[in-house]
Amino acid sequence: MERKVGVIGAGSWGTTLAKILGENGNETIVWAFEPEVVEEINGAHTNERYVPEAKLVENVRATTDLQEVCEQCPLILMVVPSHVFRGVAAQMGDHLHGEQCIVHCTKGIERGTFKRMSQVLREETCVRKIGVLCGPNLSRELAAQNPAGTVVASKFAEVSGRALEALHNQYFRVYSGSDVVGAEVGGAFKNIIAVAAGIVDGLGMGDNTKALLLTRGLSEMTRYGVLQGAEILTFGGMAGIGDLMATCASPLSRNHQVGERLARGETREEIQQSMFMVAEGVKTARPVHNDAEENGMDLPIVTAVYRLLYEGASVEQALTELMGREAGPEFDAVKRLWESGGGGMGRS
Amino acid sequence: MRPEDRERIQVEVVSRVVEQHVAASGNASEGYLETLVNDTIYNERRRLEKASSERARAEAPFYDEILRRMQHASERDLRKLTEKLARRFVGEVVGNFDKRVYSAATGAIPAGLWALLNAMSPSRLFSLEGFKRGLADHLELWGEVDHLKSVAEKGTLVFVPTHSSNLDSILLGYAIYLMGLPPVTYGAGINLFTNPLISFFMANLGAYKVDRKKTSTLYKEVLKEYATCSMEMGYNNLFFPGGTRSRSGKVERKLKKGLLGCAIRAYINNLREKAPRPNLYIVPMTINYLLVLEAETLIDDHLKEVGKSRYIITDDEFSRPREIYNFMNNLISMDSRIVLTCSAPMDVFGNRVDREGRSVDGRGRIVDPSRYVTRESEPVFDDQRDYQYTREVSDEIAGAYLADNVIHSTHITGHALFRLLKSSNPGVTLYRLLRTGGEHPSFTMTQVHQEVDRLLRAFEEMEPRPRLGPVVQEGDVQEIVNDALRAFSVYHTRRAAVRRGDRMFHEDRNLLLFYSNRLEGYELERHLNGGGM
Repeated sequence: MERKVGVIGAGSWGTTLAKILGENGNETIVWAFEPEVVEEINGAHTNERYVPEAKLVENVRATTDLQEVCEQCPLILMVVPSHVFRGVAAQMGDHLHGEQCIVHCTKGIERGTFKRMSQVLREETCVRKIGVLCGPNLSRELAAQNPAGTVVASKFAEVSGRALEALHNQYFRVYSGSDVVGAEVGGAFKNIIAVAAGIVDGLGMGDNTKALLLTRGLSEMTRYGVLQGAEILTFGGMAGIGDLMATCASPLSRNHQVGERLARGETREEIQQSMFMVAEGVKTARPVHNDAEENGMDLPIVTAVYRLLYEGASVEQALTELMGREAGPEFDAVKRLWESGGGGMGRS
Repeated sequence: MRPEDRERIQVEVVSRVVEQHVAASGNASEGYLETLVNDTIYNERRRLEKASSERARAEAPFYDEILRRMQHASERDLRKLTEKLARRFVGEVVGNFDKRVYSAATGAIPAGLWALLNAMSPSRLFSLEGFKRGLADHLELWGEVDHLKSVAEKGTLVFVPTHSSNLDSILLGYAIYLMGLPPVTYGAGINLFTNPLISFFMANLGAYKVDRKKTSTLYKEVLKEYATCSMEMGYNNLFFPGGTRSRSGKVERKLKKGLLGCAIRAYINNLREKAPRPNLYIVPMTINYLLVLEAETLIDDHLKEVGKSRYIITDDEFSRPREIYNFMNNLISMDSRIVLTCSAPMDVFGNRVDREGRSVDGRGRIVDPSRYVTRESEPVFDDQRDYQYTREVSDEIAGAYLADNVIHSTHITGHALFRLLKSSNPGVTLYRLLRTGGEHPSFTMTQVHQEVDRLLRAFEEMEPRPRLGPVVQEGDVQEIVNDALRAFSVYHTRRAAVRRGDRMFHEDRNLLLFYSNRLEGYELERHLNGGGM
């Protein structure tokens, strides 16, 4: 089988994935938007701006020609931020065909439409064999070849199979799954909780608080996900608790940094102006909050983060509101979902 | 089906089914074919235990003989026995229409129905004056008819309509005839063939026999392969993906994947054989009655059987010719319309197709559908992949159903009244409500009108807007409710609702629920602001 793999997007995650693919012996073509990034990858085999410590192997090359990648690669990883995802997908759509597999590695929900990235891909291209890669994967740690794991979920076994074959190696464990919705919701939702975790750390509140946040955050994630058609079990896996733990524990994540700065009293506008890469949590909080509100779903942590970011609420206010809520039986909400038949067969 | 094809298809089906099992037995542990034959006989004998003694006497010796020959059978013998079973099954599926039975049974038929049935071919059948007057004036065909006609020349059609009545196949046959398309091949429950009249009718419309009491894997494979082969031979097919008539009255959302999967298989086979016209086109249709012939039986069965496995209804309104006749007469006298809709055809993967029959993606680009099933430029089968495609196409079909379902006065009025019932009896369970009718035996006409009006306004907000039937379209709330009341009074043995003075009484709430259920699936709650349930 052809081992050519395309990577769309040469940010930190895209470059890291290309590095892994190359090391695994795949002929890898990276599409980058910026010509200087292409030049650097092809010349020095580095991408200093996004993954400073990484050295790419020879069989990774870059191009600014989207068509070239789309026409040559049976497997394509799509690693562009959620706000440009649709535009890039639409351009790719002119060159793709039904035999190809696309795995997206973008953690976010489309603003305005509340759509997941697999839905966007389905709308903008003719490709059906779509999958999502999601897990506790901080680029810098993976670039240093520290052991890590992830999951590739697709309704098509061929997609997860191909991705696994291309990516799995000594330091990167790639699991396969079929719950696309769960993996996408998990990956997007955890970014919101990560902002909250940054706040907890910024306020120096400690591990009890952090554990409380993560546990209840996971509960919100699960409830939101199941209502979208996800399976409950997914949230106990790589794309759920796994990704949540890594993102919330690590001060490296952009979402976490946003949280810390909010805790210091900065506003969203101030933070965004000085950040060079986009924090997905900031973008995701709004659609998830609006979607939940429209469907009468109670997600207190999401609401708190949303109010901090978009309604100018203060950290003290948000905290008082959260802690002032009644606490009842711990699993009531999730149990209700379970009993109503949710979380079994996911609708996709 | 052409006589020469009748022979050919039987041979082809048997050989494919047997080949598949022989191939599978090569990879399986020893005793694979033995288990297969054994299972088949076990299932058949169990069926015969429950069947009439007459039938059992007729059929049992065949299976006993096979069982006897299984003793000390070699692999070769087992293969032969498998073949024998498959051949018997396919023979039953193809069926033989016995003219003598038909003439013997024609004595006791109402005159009108006689006119309806007295013909040998669909074209003669439908051109009969009496029939035309009865049906043509009362049937409307909406939707993408021209699109469909143009695509029909490019490949084989697979009609997948909603299913609410056994009359569906007759109406569909007629509609397909009106469109100038050849008759379709479709599987009809064998219980419909027990009545010689209906049997005759069915056979004329291209029906083959499906015995849902036959549960063996081998039988189901024969059925699927029969459908697949007929598609490959270019026969337009029809089947109801809902499986059976909608018991609840709801528009089908969960569809059976088995026969839908056949379309993909047939397509791949066509590609592999390099057939000149490999394409198949899926055509969702909806059939929308103001009144459903078997509504009473269906909803009763639904309520009895919710959450359990359903049994096969053999004795309902459809098996009683006089009932059909009454029903037709009432429809005619009421001047009501049955609306059939044709959705835009799609390829077997759920992509829209243009007028040339070319597949088109979500952004209007022409796509090559064969790429979905090729690997290194060879068309290949992949069960897991193809099952997923089948799921996707079935989602598209369910979407088309909802988009093209037509709302009649009985549905909207039934729904409005049921909403009033629910909201005036908070906390009462559905079953209790159905049984007792709750606190209020009636509502004022004004209340009903207001509720209908709210629903109408909710429809207006929806994107895309639901299709509205002839009377509902006009938007006159009083007319809509009157039309429904008139309909409720003419045919069913029990009235769903009735007007006395200034009030509307709910009488048969089961029926009311049946018609009300047609509006489930539109997510009406999202569009009904405030109040209600």
